[in-house]
Amino acid sequence: MELPVPNARAATQREGPGLPAAAAELFGRRLLVQTGKGGVGKSSVTAALALMARRRGKRVLVCEVNGGGRIPALLGVPAGGPRVVEALPGLFCVDVRPHEAMIEYGLMKLKSAALVNAVLENRVMRYFLKALPTLAEVVTMGKILFHVREQAGGRPRFDLVLVDAPATGHCLALLRVPATVLATVPEGPLRDDLRWMAAMLEDPAQTAVNIVSLPEELPIDETLELAAALRAGEIPMGVCFLNAIWPSRFSAAELPLLPDDVFWRPVRETVRRMEARADLCAVERRRLVSGLDLPVVDLPHVCVERFGREAVESLSRAAEQGLDATAALREARP
Amino acid sequence: MSADRPPRSEARDRERSRDLLPGVEARATGGLERIAGRRLLVCVGPGGVGKTTVAASVALGAALEGRKALVCTIDPARRLGSSLGLKELGNVEVEIPADRLAEAAGGARPRGRLFAMMLDLKRSWDDIVARYSRSPEQRDRIYANRYYRQISNAVAGSREYAAVEKLYELSTDRDYDLIVLDTPPTAHALDFLDAPNRVLDFLDNDAARWLLTPALTAGKVGFQVLGFGSGRIVRGISRFTGLETLRELADFMLSLSGMYEGFKERAAEVKALLGGPQASFLLVTTPQPLAVTEALRFHELLGKDGLHVSTVVANRVHPPAGAPEPAALAAALARVPGLPDDFGPRLSATLHDAQTLWRADQAELSRLRREKIPFVEVLRRDRDVHDVKALAAFAAEMAGAKA
Repeated sequence: MELPVPNARAATQREGPGLPAAAAELFGRRLLVQTGKGGVGKSSVTAALALMARRRGKRVLVCEVNGGGRIPALLGVPAGGPRVVEALPGLFCVDVRPHEAMIEYGLMKLKSAALVNAVLENRVMRYFLKALPTLAEVVTMGKILFHVREQAGGRPRFDLVLVDAPATGHCLALLRVPATVLATVPEGPLRDDLRWMAAMLEDPAQTAVNIVSLPEELPIDETLELAAALRAGEIPMGVCFLNAIWPSRFSAAELPLLPDDVFWRPVRETVRRMEARADLCAVERRRLVSGLDLPVVDLPHVCVERFGREAVESLSRAAEQGLDATAALREARP
Repeated sequence: MSADRPPRSEARDRERSRDLLPGVEARATGGLERIAGRRLLVCVGPGGVGKTTVAASVALGAALEGRKALVCTIDPARRLGSSLGLKELGNVEVEIPADRLAEAAGGARPRGRLFAMMLDLKRSWDDIVARYSRSPEQRDRIYANRYYRQISNAVAGSREYAAVEKLYELSTDRDYDLIVLDTPPTAHALDFLDAPNRVLDFLDNDAARWLLTPALTAGKVGFQVLGFGSGRIVRGISRFTGLETLRELADFMLSLSGMYEGFKERAAEVKALLGGPQASFLLVTTPQPLAVTEALRFHELLGKDGLHVSTVVANRVHPPAGAPEPAALAAALARVPGLPDDFGPRLSATLHDAQTLWRADQAELSRLRREKIPFVEVLRRDRDVHDVKALAAFAAEMAGAKA
């Protein structure tokens, strides 16, 4: 590796006292990747983790993967596109897009914009770039990992890099791409880069993949499968964030107390429906907890009309409490 | 559709939906009968919105109406198989047992037939290669190539291409009245629509052909014949990926030579099929902000390509809450005996949540209305759709014959 591995002691000092154990364990990593089934709230959870890290005084970079500015939208800040911008003090955002990442990679290697253009515009080269799409994934992953190693003023430029990763299948491919391509391409400059990338992704001291899920049947199924696939791929895992859990507010005996008349019937039906959903959450949650060998961090359903910065803040506080509770739970376990 | 209205023609329906305010009206004009004249239905939409369920229930609905329908899914959706009464979904079409179909029809003898299959995309690619290779030797050489596996997995749009190619085969070789294709979750709308173009681009590239033709005769790829141009650029490329990588890739391209023409013809036919009068697209979304954003983009792209969107389904919409005015609620609560002290606040919280969910959904759906996109609303279920009965109820709700 060209750059030194970040100094472990310095990192601990920066975390400061009072950081919950599970959060510290998670935030002790340099790279946290959030993935899961489509629509489970990966972006919201990633944004919430970013706010939480920021509250802890960490300089944090949130990477979207060709996401089109979801994170800045959630945080209520203007999108900076493929450039790293400081969205909030200490919180940076970037949308990693393959084409731009390719140019950046080229610049790093060739040190001349004119030559990069000449190479990328070369029609044979363009053809091959299209034919070898894993190259797009390599440079995408490469850019993210570059930021993990990036130095500024003698220390890492970012304490923590968060990735709002694509959904399950695509994310697995992305995480595996350095190793996959290493097995395919012959010796050459690309291989050298792939080696350090693969090493970083496999290092549990630096990297953790968090699975985001919903307390519903299909997301839970997919979570269990994804965890198995990550384990098989020897990709280090962090926790599972179980998002949008509904609270149960009534006991089964309470609802019949309301009269069965014209006024109360729609109310009873609404409460029945909401409680049924809470029950289903509880059932699916139990299935997840019993089937998954990862700590499960409960996140409540943040019920707002517009899911914006405020909602992300409240999700972020809940994540903090959840990580706390998870740590407490783990310590309490014999 | 309400029962007292006379049936309308598809053309008049389209006419009407243009005049009327879309959205709520779309439910009244029924979304699904507009599919009726089409033989191929491609379900598209963002991940996690229930495409597979929608695809299966549309096919089931058609079968219950007496048609011979097929649903093709791409995900290893074991649950879909089991809900249809099949132990396993394979790469071949399997008929759903008649008694299972009867269950969906409420015990009545089913008039149509329903088939299901799961597309194995790797196999589909192998089939494509086998079909277009000039000899068994060429086929085996491609199968054995280490780039082949990566490319069949990873060429942007290759999964999608394999799916539409299979759709083409099924639509030309079989006698289904309706084929419903459940598409793979795509990161981006373009991946799917662009799939034939990209794969064509990959296999039938003028540059590649002229670059490789001299090499073909020479039997070996040399960079002088590859026409990279100046030595400076070649050196640039070598620092970029290494020349060896390109050399091997070029060898792989050579192994594909001779397949271009057949492939090009087929891909053009596939493209024509998707844009033709037989095919239409069913766009599925949920009232989640990101899903609606993606659905709007899908819709725009489909329109730009001149593809026919028959229906937009807004799935998992929360129903309005039965929430009285706070004052009326408080007064009524005071008259109910035996309630715990904190019952009122808990009840208010739940009703407030229910109302918020409904409002949030309607706010998102109004984005579709603003774009004048008619859509069918399907309410969120208490439970996941698990069996043919639930699928049939889902189909009925989509068809507008809502309970």
